[in-house]
Amino acid sequence: MVVSERRLSIPNNPITGIVLAIPAYFFGVWLGTLFGNTDDQNTGVILGYLFATVAFLAGVGFLNYPLERLFGWRVTPITDPAENRGIGRYFRLSLDHKVIGLQYLVTILLMLLLGGIGAMLIRTSLLVPDASITPPGNYIPLIGLHSVMMIFITSAVIVGPFGNYLVPLMIGARRMAFPRLEALSFWVVPPAAVILAAATFWGGFPTGWTGYPPLSEQALQGMDSYIVGFALIAVALVTSAVNMLATIIGLRAPGMTWTRLPIFVWGIFTTSILGLLAAPVLAAALIMLAMDRSLNTSFFLASNGGSNYLWENLFWFFGHPEVYIFILPAFGIIMEIVPHFARKPLWGYRTGVVGLFGVALLSWFVWQHHLFVSGIAPVLRPFYMLSTELISIPTGIIFLVTLGTLWRARVWFTVPMLFCLGFLFNFLIGGISGVYLSDVPTDVTLHGSYFSMAHFHYTIMGGEIFALMAAAYYWLPKMTGKMLSPTIGRVHFWTMFIAFNSTFFPLFIVGLLNMPRRVSSYDPALVGLNRWVTVSAYVLFGSMVLFAGNLIYSWFFVSRPALANPWHARSLEWQVPTPVPARNFERVPVIVAGPYDYGIPNSRPVADLGGMVGVTGGG
Amino acid sequence: MAVRTRYEAAADAEAQVDSRLVAVGTWLFLGAEIFFFAAWWFAFFYLRALNNNQAWKAQGVGPPSKGYGAVVLALAALTAVTYFLASRQSPRAFLFRLLTPIALVFGIATSLFQGYEMWHLGFGLTEGGYPSVFSGMTGSWVVQFALATAWLGSIVTQAGPSGDTIARRRPAGSFAWILVFLAAVGIINYILLYLVG
Repeated sequence: MVVSERRLSIPNNPITGIVLAIPAYFFGVWLGTLFGNTDDQNTGVILGYLFATVAFLAGVGFLNYPLERLFGWRVTPITDPAENRGIGRYFRLSLDHKVIGLQYLVTILLMLLLGGIGAMLIRTSLLVPDASITPPGNYIPLIGLHSVMMIFITSAVIVGPFGNYLVPLMIGARRMAFPRLEALSFWVVPPAAVILAAATFWGGFPTGWTGYPPLSEQALQGMDSYIVGFALIAVALVTSAVNMLATIIGLRAPGMTWTRLPIFVWGIFTTSILGLLAAPVLAAALIMLAMDRSLNTSFFLASNGGSNYLWENLFWFFGHPEVYIFILPAFGIIMEIVPHFARKPLWGYRTGVVGLFGVALLSWFVWQHHLFVSGIAPVLRPFYMLSTELISIPTGIIFLVTLGTLWRARVWFTVPMLFCLGFLFNFLIGGISGVYLSDVPTDVTLHGSYFSMAHFHYTIMGGEIFALMAAAYYWLPKMTGKMLSPTIGRVHFWTMFIAFNSTFFPLFIVGLLNMPRRVSSYDPALVGLNRWVTVSAYVLFGSMVLFAGNLIYSWFFVSRPALANPWHARSLEWQVPTPVPARNFERVPVIVAGPYDYGIPNSRPVADLGGMVGVTGGG
Repeated sequence: MAVRTRYEAAADAEAQVDSRLVAVGTWLFLGAEIFFFAAWWFAFFYLRALNNNQAWKAQGVGPPSKGYGAVVLALAALTAVTYFLASRQSPRAFLFRLLTPIALVFGIATSLFQGYEMWHLGFGLTEGGYPSVFSGMTGSWVVQFALATAWLGSIVTQAGPSGDTIARRRPAGSFAWILVFLAAVGIINYILLYLVG
């Protein structure tokens, strides 16, 4: 059989994708109406979303490779990043990890803005205790959209932009292991976001992000957006995880031993393990839910041989590791940045790695604490209570590693460092309140209240988003070639830190005073605290606008070109020029020392780069 | 003595790295697959043990023909074994060229036979927990098997002198493990759905 020289010749770009997706959606709806239940449109909507997504991806160019293979044509080689220059590369399928990192960054920030607007609408509703601003019928879908959008964002907000951009640079690789998978993990994000937002036109989904049956089985077609949108998140998690893990395992430069691996890369590694194994369970559960809604099976219908607990178990078997998917890369960021500004070696590097793996391992054994109030067998409760409490040990280790690094250090209080310190403060409160909540009596009392809501916002926003900001101020100069304004950065930090605590700490109090979450009306006695929280939330949103303003101001108005190594850091990503060359390194570097050997007399530069400038010694 | 250019040596080294990455990626993907199918097996045992409202199986609901299921399973196993044996050969070898199309035919037959069974189950999907689990577990399996068969088809069509199968031998070998894995899942599914369920 002779391989043909023919090629698929449609123009591949997002416009083609959208043009193909629209008729594909209507074709799917028509097909579903033809074969699905006559009493609802669930089959049609689900098929419509799936067809539209596949058509969009085909338009962007993802089907070229498999189809060319199948037709026996010569397969298109991986595009050389050096040939892929110009601004247009950010708007089409690119296999360059740096382009994908920046595509992720902009997309995720836009989605964060949408999720944040949702949060502001929620808080505005709670200015009054009688649900007169937003009626319950609109409030619950608002909560659902905000929560799923934010869960989606926080799954990808660090691994997507920073993991994709930095991991190859940090391990001395010239590319990712599977660039097509990497690109796919990004290009499913826009359709997922559109599909989730489209739920609004169908009345939203009334279940919040947890999707519990039987409500999710009875809900209108907005729930189908939840199913397909969340399934695409699962696809993104698995494809990203396979690519990251294979890259870290197989593309480390000579001399980049496991004990020299930057701790941020360890954070990405452990996160990817969780994503790889947890997301498929969610995918299976979503298929079951889709079948129940469209084919009338009864996985979750107790009256017909199913059980809603099946969903709860499968969902939380994914859902609890998922929260560590948020936080493990944040731990990695904090442990990565602190040594550079403390100008000290990372204290207890190996212990920190063990801490990351400890959290990742234990996260598989805690999911049933989400079911304490759902009627699980009482005999199981102590095990899950203890396993949840145990997680505080590896988390505490990570904290100690960071604090040990800061001990007696001459700290350089840059903006990224301020965010790291903010993270430590916030996550301490979030973590300790988590230990408190893991106790069965406390959980049973406070599970449905604002107390647990305050707890997870302290860990996710106070933790992960503060780490994200530290990463942004630290690495964006390398990624974009422009320094962010440190003055605006400091104002941003202090506004965000104060407003964040002013927003979420009072929610512990209103939770203890029995204000239930996901309910738009509350005891009028709590109106004062709620108004305080709402005003603080506005200021918090304003601080994020300040960040966006800093990006725009620094990139477009007062351009301060970034030096190759503005922080005088030792790690490998700072040893390459800015902007980073197309293939990262002139040749594969040879790593000769660890990235955190600060203050060690006669310490060697981190790598032999074959003549590249900027190699930093022990200093 | 043949002299290799620097370009050829670099291309060889890159191909070796690529092969290793595909092998690692395959095993990682199979890790994800185990968790995916484990969710279905969990659903099977969980709903069967609970037997809510005595509706695990409605009156008269039983597994479809065990013999027919065994034929599907045998075809899946033959696909995996045939391709596995082929993948141990060089893609230029006669045995590889002989066995891969045979494996492809087995793969297509597996997908078609399983599809036919799913259209003629002998019970409705609404008749309890067992029909739900049967349709979900088998449907998820056959969709993946059909996709794997399509990929197998691309290995056959790329087996020409300048095709990808020849250029990148080891990835074609790693793919054999995916078929073996899916066949093994088919065996577990058969035991659960036809014998235990």
